[in-house]
Amino acid sequence: MNWRRFFRRDPSDAEQREELDFYLDVTAEEYIARGMTPDEARAAARRKLGNTTLIREEVYRMNTVTLLESAWRDARHALRMIRTKPGFSIPALLSLALGIGGNIAIFSVVNAVLIRPLPYPEPDALVGVFNSAVFERQPIHDMPLSLGMYHAYENGAQSFQDFGVWTAGAATITGAGDPEQIATVTMTNGVLPALGVRPYLGRWFSREDNAERAQETAILSYGYWQRRFGGDAHVVGRVVLIDFVPHQVIGVMPRTFQFLNLAPDVLLPQHLPDGPIRSDEFNHSGIARLKPGVTVNGANQDIARVLALWGGADDVRQVVEQLRFKPQLRPLKQDVVGDAGVVLRTLMGALALVLLLVCANVANLVQVRTQSRRREFAIRAALGAGWGRIARELLVESLTLGILGGALGLGFAYAGIRLLVADGSANLPRLAGISIDSASLLFALACSAASSLAFGSIAILKSGRTAAMQNARGASASSEQLRAQNALVVAQVGLALVLLIGAGLMIRSFLALRSVAPGFTHPEQIETVRILIPKAQIPEPERVVRMQADLVARLASIPGVAAAGFASGLPMELEYHNGNVVAVEGRTPVGQIPPNRTTKQVSPGLFAAQGTRLIVGRDFTWDDVFSQRRIAIVSENMAHENWGDPRDALGKRIRIGEGPWMEVVGVVENVHDDGVDRPAPPTVYLRAGIAAAQPGTPAAVRRSVTLAIRSNRAATESFLREITAAIHAVNPNLPLAKVRTLNDVYRGSMARTSFALVLLGIAGAMALTLAVVGVYGVLAYAVAQRRREMSIRVALGAEPGLVQALFVRQGLMLACAGGALGLCSAAALSRWISSLLFGVAPLDPLTYGVSGAIILAAAVTASYIPARRAASVDPMETLRSD
Amino acid sequence: MPRRQSPLQSEMVQGTLDMLILQTLVLGPAHGQTIAHAIERGSEDVLQVEHGSLYPALHRLENRVWIAAFWGTSENNRRAKYYRLTREGKRQLAVQTSRWEQVVRAIGRILNPAVEKQG
Repeated sequence: MNWRRFFRRDPSDAEQREELDFYLDVTAEEYIARGMTPDEARAAARRKLGNTTLIREEVYRMNTVTLLESAWRDARHALRMIRTKPGFSIPALLSLALGIGGNIAIFSVVNAVLIRPLPYPEPDALVGVFNSAVFERQPIHDMPLSLGMYHAYENGAQSFQDFGVWTAGAATITGAGDPEQIATVTMTNGVLPALGVRPYLGRWFSREDNAERAQETAILSYGYWQRRFGGDAHVVGRVVLIDFVPHQVIGVMPRTFQFLNLAPDVLLPQHLPDGPIRSDEFNHSGIARLKPGVTVNGANQDIARVLALWGGADDVRQVVEQLRFKPQLRPLKQDVVGDAGVVLRTLMGALALVLLLVCANVANLVQVRTQSRRREFAIRAALGAGWGRIARELLVESLTLGILGGALGLGFAYAGIRLLVADGSANLPRLAGISIDSASLLFALACSAASSLAFGSIAILKSGRTAAMQNARGASASSEQLRAQNALVVAQVGLALVLLIGAGLMIRSFLALRSVAPGFTHPEQIETVRILIPKAQIPEPERVVRMQADLVARLASIPGVAAAGFASGLPMELEYHNGNVVAVEGRTPVGQIPPNRTTKQVSPGLFAAQGTRLIVGRDFTWDDVFSQRRIAIVSENMAHENWGDPRDALGKRIRIGEGPWMEVVGVVENVHDDGVDRPAPPTVYLRAGIAAAQPGTPAAVRRSVTLAIRSNRAATESFLREITAAIHAVNPNLPLAKVRTLNDVYRGSMARTSFALVLLGIAGAMALTLAVVGVYGVLAYAVAQRRREMSIRVALGAEPGLVQALFVRQGLMLACAGGALGLCSAAALSRWISSLLFGVAPLDPLTYGVSGAIILAAAVTASYIPARRAASVDPMETLRSD
Repeated sequence: MPRRQSPLQSEMVQGTLDMLILQTLVLGPAHGQTIAHAIERGSEDVLQVEHGSLYPALHRLENRVWIAAFWGTSENNRRAKYYRLTREGKRQLAVQTSRWEQVVRAIGRILNPAVEKQG
């Protein structure tokens, strides 16, 4: 054997032919020289050489690996079979492609989101640093750190190699070109070394950059550097105006750098006061790289020690005791991935079930085909084909089917992933990284091979038995054959029911979410714009308030605008959430830290723009804002919790921490601020403008607000132009950010549910189709098998209706058995998806009942057609033909 | 297909043809037709080379690297496939020749007494 020639068999065959032709010519010439005519000479030479084809064949065979060769032949045979039997191969290939494709797509998502390591060196050593705390008897597991804690950890922790804290934010860049709002991450000097990503140009932040009065510095992202500075190689050292303050560029991050789930344009240093840290807002996320050999548990113990030391100081002791802080370090990946794992694992499970169903279906098809080839196999076995030979052929056939189906599925998966990434509404972390990579390809191959083996081995077992029986005619295998098929169909119906119930539960959850009154109306008509008035441009709080009032007035006067207002954050804008401890006069015990409440600053008109109903009392007025009245509005549940009836809330007083008392002047309906799937939090609305300050602190104003403009022209281009014009008429330097409608935010809060719903729905529909095909196939086969029996019955006077009922009953029995199996499995499995459900129990009887009814109805319909065919047999014709 | 069978041809064992080819090539490279001719002439036409086995045999020897093939130009200026003996081929020729002689001697020893008995 010569491998080179094996792969060049056809060229070397041509050479062989040339060699033989040469022989013929030379010999003929010799004969001519001896006196023969050319024709005679040629014929004689041919006779002498013998059969050239035989010689070439023999040489060809010498260059061949027999096993490979016959496998190739089997594959070609299989391909021919696939081409010539479309009735068998098209449904088989399509269902395989859908089943495998769905699995590849979900696997690619799971791989990119859950499996692939974070894009940092030695990512396993990275942890997110948080605390758990107890608020209002409610445990919170991801409480960010305060700067004081940062200071304590930085100095006291022994298990960290690098450690830092960061906050995400936004800033305005002015100077050359249009003003622009950019995403920022403000960080201490330890964050980038912890991640281990060196800058592409320049340097990391240093400890000096974090000092309170240091020269302002900034590191650019690669993308922003390219976009704004055209990739200027000398950008380091240049000065940019960020929020109207000059910042010196000290570096550019590499192109591949991602900051967890964020894509900040600019990184800024976190400034730390020189003296003791007083301000204690818990809003700094921590990142640390553990020292080699340190486990997350070990680090948690280490930090518990540091925390206890820090908590012993006088000024924080009370807070620490009340909130019962505990360190809560966790792998950074968990931070990035969040709770996407539940959805993805559920979908992965659902699609694995679909693939099982597909395999069962194809196994059924293959089995029916094997049955029709029984004679062929028996004859071949009689002629001496070994069982191994036939088994190999069937296996190659199955593998060919599987691989072709997998290749088609890869195409489906590719299209599906493109759709998913482009759509972006699935709200998944690390979405941009989703692609079909080598791992997905391997998975595809494994899927194809495994499913081929699954349905191929059934066919082989079947053929083996028939070949052993060597009966070329017998019909005696049919009952056994039917039993196996029945088992497959029962399993199929059961699996389909599980998936249907899953899809049904998601539909119920989605409907329940849709029916929640979110606390605002027609979000698609609410245009939102985020603006920030920088301190460096307009330092005086009073002027900021005037400007905000002007903005609202101008926006409200745009034709078609029903109402306009602004708030520190609109509903479900989780990134602008704010909470404060709110004391209620006469109810909060003196000397205790009052409970934390969601607080928002809102302008007059916001509730009208949002469509939030005023239950009792009045809205804020601009007069309230300018004369800095100490008043507040509360949500209905806040009023209910403290005073029983909303009407009783009016005139009562509340305050933020130790601040001045504020009188409640109105009560509005509850707003599901944390997302529709979460209960509406008790909320305190503060009026916009200069805040009722804590004693001893300077007057402050919220400079960054979201405008809400209600109009039925929302999201049209002309409307957006008018909004931009109105805002720039007030201040040409204001960049517009987060231009969207509230509907985008609202839909975003249901994205996970609708993503799971759509995919489970697709899986359920596929499963139902496959099960119907399965039931139909089995009954059609049974009818064909029992045609003679039916003919005899009809000939003996059986009513056609009775015959029909016989088969429908059989279909019903199969469906019932499968249904019972499915109900039990679904009941056992549904608790896995309980965290995805909303407003519906995992064992919701309605969903189970309806899904079961659908399966039964589908099965009866599927059995009706073959049953009718059985009833309409013409006894004479059938009996004669056999 | 019907084959012309001469008694000697059918008895020509596989190893024999290989050995004869190798022996022919000792004199220098040759193409298939020359090899066949050389064997037939050398045996005074007693041994007829069955071409149906000559070319497969050449191929087999080439695969074993006992002979090597190259394309050359024939006496009448045509492209022809030539074969030459390799170093391994020479060694094999020696091995096979000595084994052949052993076999011939052994057969002779068996046949001669039988001749005596008959005589």
